[in-house]
Amino acid sequence: MHAATGTTHEAHDVHDHIHPPPEGFVRKYVFSLDHKVIGFQYFFTGLLIMLIAGSFAELVRLQLTDPKGAIMSNTAYNEMFSMHGTAMVWLVLIPLVTGALGNFVMPLQIGARDVAFPWLNMVSFWIVPIAAILLFSSMLWGGPHAGWTEYPPVSLLDGTAGALWCAAIFTVGISSTMTGLNFMTTIIMMRAPGMTWTRMPLFVWATFATALMNMMATVALSAAVGALFLQHVFHVPFFDPSRGGSPVLYEHMFWFYSHPAVYIFIIPAFGVISEVVSTFARKPIFGYKMIAFSSMAIAILSFTVWAHHMFPSGLAPWLQLPFMILTYAIGIPTGIKIFSWVATLWGGRIYFSTAMLYALGFLITFTFGGITGIFLASVPVDLHAHGTTFIVAHFHYVVAGGSLMGFLAAIPYWYPKATGRLMSERLGHIGFWLFFIGLNGTFMPMHWLGLEGMPRRYATYEYFAKAFPDAQFWNQFETGFSFLMAASIGLLAFNVLWSIKHGKVAGINPWGARTLEWTIDSPPPYYNFKKIPNVFDRPYDFDQPMPYRNTDNVVAPYPEYGAVVMAQPAGAGA
Amino acid sequence: MKGLGPGFWSVTLLLTVISLVNAWYFLFGSIDWIMPGSTNPVANVTYDIDGLFKFMAVFGGAICIYVTGYVIYFAIAYRARAGEPPDAVGAALHDAPTLEFWWTALPTLLLIVLTGLSIVVWYKIQFGVGSATGLTTEVIGHQFYFEFRYPGLKTSVFSKTEPMHLPLGVPVRVLITSSDVIHQFWVPEIRLKQAAVPGLVQNLNFTPLRSGTFDIVCSEFCGVDHSKMQGKLIIEPVAAFNKWLDGEKQAAAAGGGAVVLTGGTAAAGKALFAQKCAACHQIAPFDQRLVGPGLLHITDDPAHPTLVTGLTPTPDHIAAILQNGFSGPIGTMPNAQANGLAGQDIANLVAYLDSLK
Repeated sequence: MHAATGTTHEAHDVHDHIHPPPEGFVRKYVFSLDHKVIGFQYFFTGLLIMLIAGSFAELVRLQLTDPKGAIMSNTAYNEMFSMHGTAMVWLVLIPLVTGALGNFVMPLQIGARDVAFPWLNMVSFWIVPIAAILLFSSMLWGGPHAGWTEYPPVSLLDGTAGALWCAAIFTVGISSTMTGLNFMTTIIMMRAPGMTWTRMPLFVWATFATALMNMMATVALSAAVGALFLQHVFHVPFFDPSRGGSPVLYEHMFWFYSHPAVYIFIIPAFGVISEVVSTFARKPIFGYKMIAFSSMAIAILSFTVWAHHMFPSGLAPWLQLPFMILTYAIGIPTGIKIFSWVATLWGGRIYFSTAMLYALGFLITFTFGGITGIFLASVPVDLHAHGTTFIVAHFHYVVAGGSLMGFLAAIPYWYPKATGRLMSERLGHIGFWLFFIGLNGTFMPMHWLGLEGMPRRYATYEYFAKAFPDAQFWNQFETGFSFLMAASIGLLAFNVLWSIKHGKVAGINPWGARTLEWTIDSPPPYYNFKKIPNVFDRPYDFDQPMPYRNTDNVVAPYPEYGAVVMAQPAGAGA
Repeated sequence: MKGLGPGFWSVTLLLTVISLVNAWYFLFGSIDWIMPGSTNPVANVTYDIDGLFKFMAVFGGAICIYVTGYVIYFAIAYRARAGEPPDAVGAALHDAPTLEFWWTALPTLLLIVLTGLSIVVWYKIQFGVGSATGLTTEVIGHQFYFEFRYPGLKTSVFSKTEPMHLPLGVPVRVLITSSDVIHQFWVPEIRLKQAAVPGLVQNLNFTPLRSGTFDIVCSEFCGVDHSKMQGKLIIEPVAAFNKWLDGEKQAAAAGGGAVVLTGGTAAAGKALFAQKCAACHQIAPFDQRLVGPGLLHITDDPAHPTLVTGLTPTPDHIAAILQNGFSGPIGTMPNAQANGLAGQDIANLVAYLDSLK
């Protein structure tokens, strides 16, 4: 209340309104309202579940080293791949790319002190561990068996575990919807003065497109798994054809969410790549407007292509055509983005930081995964490749080679801002090569195995190995390389924890980057910005002075790639 | 800007050569190791689908090769060098409208051509056989085997391991459905698959062009033994096919496999229902279930237009359930042998149920 100081009201600074930081462990770190702490909570939850779900994937790979099934029963195998997919999609990728990155980075990049609804944000996060408990507790009842898609009627055989799966996905869907709403409001309402739409950092554009999809698509998923839950528990025959239901209905509702969902994974990674490529090429991003608008084009088109997952699943033939054409259409904005990033590299002054290596790797693997997507969009070719390991390969090139690579670029890039210390570049470089080689070795052979005739979700492949004697060799090959990826993620977890204490002190702006978060202290103070800065241009013009006024710290007009980074041991970062 | 850089055109030339080698390989080399039987197609649509695949492998491969090549080349050619000042920056290039026009227009054009080609092949697959169909067969997915049915055979006589037969050179239409969960009928060497969805009859149309034995694979996850669900398809000359089909018909007649429904009486069926069926089914509306549903209007119930097998409730289809039994996620019904039903018993029961509409 400023009744007594009414005369000075106009003169006083915005920083008078800064709330005091919370006190006590619980308010600070557990039920925190601070977007940065919530970002950490998402990050560590996601990383922990990634280790669990990744170990499920390794069990799946080990099983396939023998055509008869090497280590477990068919039932256990089916449970493992179902849990791997479900946990990775809903409890790892979505919390990491939207929850962790969006929460930590987006408010800092738009010059805001927090998201629009901090309480909603806190609730959104705490829903995720509840969903995780629901999902993992389903394993006490035998776990889900029908893959991350859980198509009925076969998923109805899962009983209690299936119902718990539905409850977990419904719950995590609430979190996604609320986060989407929160981020949209934040980006629309809380940008710093002068930050017009065309001056927003590209990661913010990506988060905006993602929030739109999160908010609008997730309700369809909630309806699908809600109906499936009612069928599990109360035998309401939504998907039972003998009582007037349709199993194909579930597939439509599921994919109406889950196709946008794969863009929910990938578009934040696009945003990361835009930031990282520009920063480490010391060069303006090529085609800013086209990259920003293509994110929005992809977000909108993503709602119109869901049935390309269902070409041989019960679509009327004529219905296949519009979905094929729209799916091809979505390749155009995606191509524009990739070409723009490659053009950004041209004429740059490129530093091979760990983040940049992951970004370069992303350009190669994501392009490959995108091209195999073009194969699958063609109805006739999809009639052959659908449901095979070709799909598994395509999906993992896009999700592990795209979304996860983008996230792995984001960790070393923003880690110094979050903790005040740099991650070890040497470990980071080793981790990158392990991941990149492991990824290609694991998923490349799946392309030809699938086209030869090996379906996905196969616990054993005896008849296939009889027809194609190489099958066992390639499966063992894949399993071997998959452990390189596992080692890389283990190394990452170690690096994250080790560097909190032992990393080099980063300073305000170790990379010489130009978005707003690099003008404040590392780690940022509770209120982020003491004074809300003014923005008067786009952040990517390396030949121009930094486009901010009224910043908290005195920032160099032409920030340099930091001396701290250059002082790394020889071989790292050079 | 000082031109495109010293090695740009050399690298472009190298990438073009690699792309051309890639194109040459897919167009003129044998890709049988990726797409089995590509050089000697099994069905009329196989060649077209492989053609689309090759088209995409040529142009998609080229895009991958150029992007990968330029990423590596730019990263090396424009790396930060030790001697440069720390505040050195890259070229201030924001846009290049001509370049952007072409890298939007060319992929768009490529995708339009690809869409056109895909539509041509799609039309051939979906509607190409049309009224020329020479044979219609049925495939029914079960956990965990495929059942095959042929015209002239009222019920399936096939055990789980018997192969499907198709005549060479005859346009066939395969009707596909499922008795329990969703399966997928896939013959990798033909390149076609279609889901077997309970409650839905879908089809695949093609003309076999090469004799031989091929794998039939279930490619939609269908339960614990999904990976063991497979069958064989034998494509043979028309004479051999007809000889085989006649043999099966005779065996069915001799073994009593096909039920003759004409002699059934409703009164006998009513008595038999009380003995054999009433433990699990009532003569009541569908929703009044004991173990199984009420069967009062089974042949004429608008709310339940199909049987549990997904087929229409004709007397033949009801007889098939009585004959073969049923097993699925919603329950189990014993077959005729387990239930002690002779052919005449089934005819009587069907006549009785049919009289209740």
